[in-house]
Amino acid sequence: MKRGTLSQGIGFTFLYLSMIIALISVGAILFFITKNGIKIISWEFLTSVPRRAMTQGGIAPALVGTFYLTIGAIFFALPFGVASAVFLTEYSPNSVVVNIIRMSINNLAGVPSVVFGLFGLSIFVRFFGFGVSILSGSLTLGIMILPGIISASQEALIAVPQSMREASLALGATQWQTIRKIVIPSALSGIFTGVILSIGRAAGETAPILFTAATFYTRGFPDSIFSEVMALPYHIYALMTEGTHPEEQTLIAYGSALVLLLLVIMISGLAIYLRQRQRRYDLA
Amino acid sequence: MKLSKVFICTAIISSLVMAKENKKISIEGSTTVLPIAQIAAEEYMMANPDVDITVRGGGSGVGIASLIEGTCDIADASRSMKDKEIKTAVNKGVNPVAHVVAMDGIAVVIHPSNKLKEISKEQLKAIYTGKYSNWSKLGGEKKKIIVISRDSASGTYEAFSKLTMDGERVRSDALLSASNRAVVTTVENTPGAIGYVGLGYITSKVKAIGVDGVQCTKASILSGEYPLSRPLFMYTNGNPCGQLKAFLDFVKSKEGQKLVEESGYVGLK
Repeated sequence: MKRGTLSQGIGFTFLYLSMIIALISVGAILFFITKNGIKIISWEFLTSVPRRAMTQGGIAPALVGTFYLTIGAIFFALPFGVASAVFLTEYSPNSVVVNIIRMSINNLAGVPSVVFGLFGLSIFVRFFGFGVSILSGSLTLGIMILPGIISASQEALIAVPQSMREASLALGATQWQTIRKIVIPSALSGIFTGVILSIGRAAGETAPILFTAATFYTRGFPDSIFSEVMALPYHIYALMTEGTHPEEQTLIAYGSALVLLLLVIMISGLAIYLRQRQRRYDLA
Repeated sequence: MKLSKVFICTAIISSLVMAKENKKISIEGSTTVLPIAQIAAEEYMMANPDVDITVRGGGSGVGIASLIEGTCDIADASRSMKDKEIKTAVNKGVNPVAHVVAMDGIAVVIHPSNKLKEISKEQLKAIYTGKYSNWSKLGGEKKKIIVISRDSASGTYEAFSKLTMDGERVRSDALLSASNRAVVTTVENTPGAIGYVGLGYITSKVKAIGVDGVQCTKASILSGEYPLSRPLFMYTNGNPCGQLKAFLDFVKSKEGQKLVEESGYVGLK
């Protein structure tokens, strides 16, 4: 009896410490980036273009570039992701082929992001001849976030009670009508949670856009999907490795890092909020 | 109604695709030439607001490969093109034309705590081939030499190895950095380190030492006295025309060369 209490105590302490360590790491990153980057953040920093050999001015082109790339990635990944998930949960027989497809999707999720970057370079930039562009970058990011969207959508679809499908079919609806009018609408908020988390990932990745979309400096805003763009994560990387004015540029890099961090936190926060609302809806 | 949505989407996409391409200049390549290309692009666009210039790094090799592939308009290079590259270019119907835009010296940098004041080309070669691995060989304190070099896509690497290594390879345990700035950061944080960077990248946190008795300065580079000096290039496919020509003329103009000097390189006379 006593031994049981003791090992339980040790176990709880360990769990508690693990949580503290996780909290400390998040806190330390936030504190460090904020402390170094907050000085430079201003409305002007967010809305002006880099000036004076990238030692002054702001990050507006990088913000706009990240926005376009993320929207583009969702534009490509969302329809295919949801369609795949619907097929896998609603239509697919439990055959070998389908199992292989499932396995491939899971493997795709584990591919390092730089590999997606190289893939994008050889396929979209070179083979299809899209060049270094928003289009190439969006497609590459889209493929990267595809597995995330598929699995989030699958979860959401599976969570829709079987009784709802049966009720719809019993009323004489076809399977397609059931999926379109009953299953997908009920799963929508779960799907959106997955999409929002994917937006956070797409906005924060450097490696996939390194060779496919990002550029060191451009002043204007993109005027076509074949434009190269600046992007926040790459901007940080480029300033730290290729700039010639370390003092000013390191500060700008920290400022950009803070903006990126806040952006991703805000996006994830939105996802958490939606998930909470969904839970309440489910319980009701 | 669904169809109309499809039409609108197609219309938006095609209008994006149709947007004019002709006033765009894409520059890619050497991280050494990058600051010159960036500030020149900035000033040029200020004067010509309808032109769009994008500038990216990657390394001389990457820039030249992109020029050959047709994915950039100007390839920055801190070395001249190799015979092999020229052959590939010609086979693909690309006719590379070199434009010298500035002069540069490759400065040898060490940690500020190191007392060494200068080095000879032979000693440099001995260090980079691995023959010397301790600073005591050069009359310094007993400390391991940490050799920092650049990756093989770097034109600075090519130029350095052509000027000092006589065709021998850099020791296999040298740390390879992907950019000039990365070399400087590593050297400033590593006592015992030695590296080489373009003149524009020297900071107060690292110590630049003379080579064969000559300090790396603008004067010694321009006079040709400094042994590790080299021209910096911008390559175009064929003789440039239109906006491309106007931009290159701007870089080579008095105003452009002033920007070259401001970025820490040596302007052409």
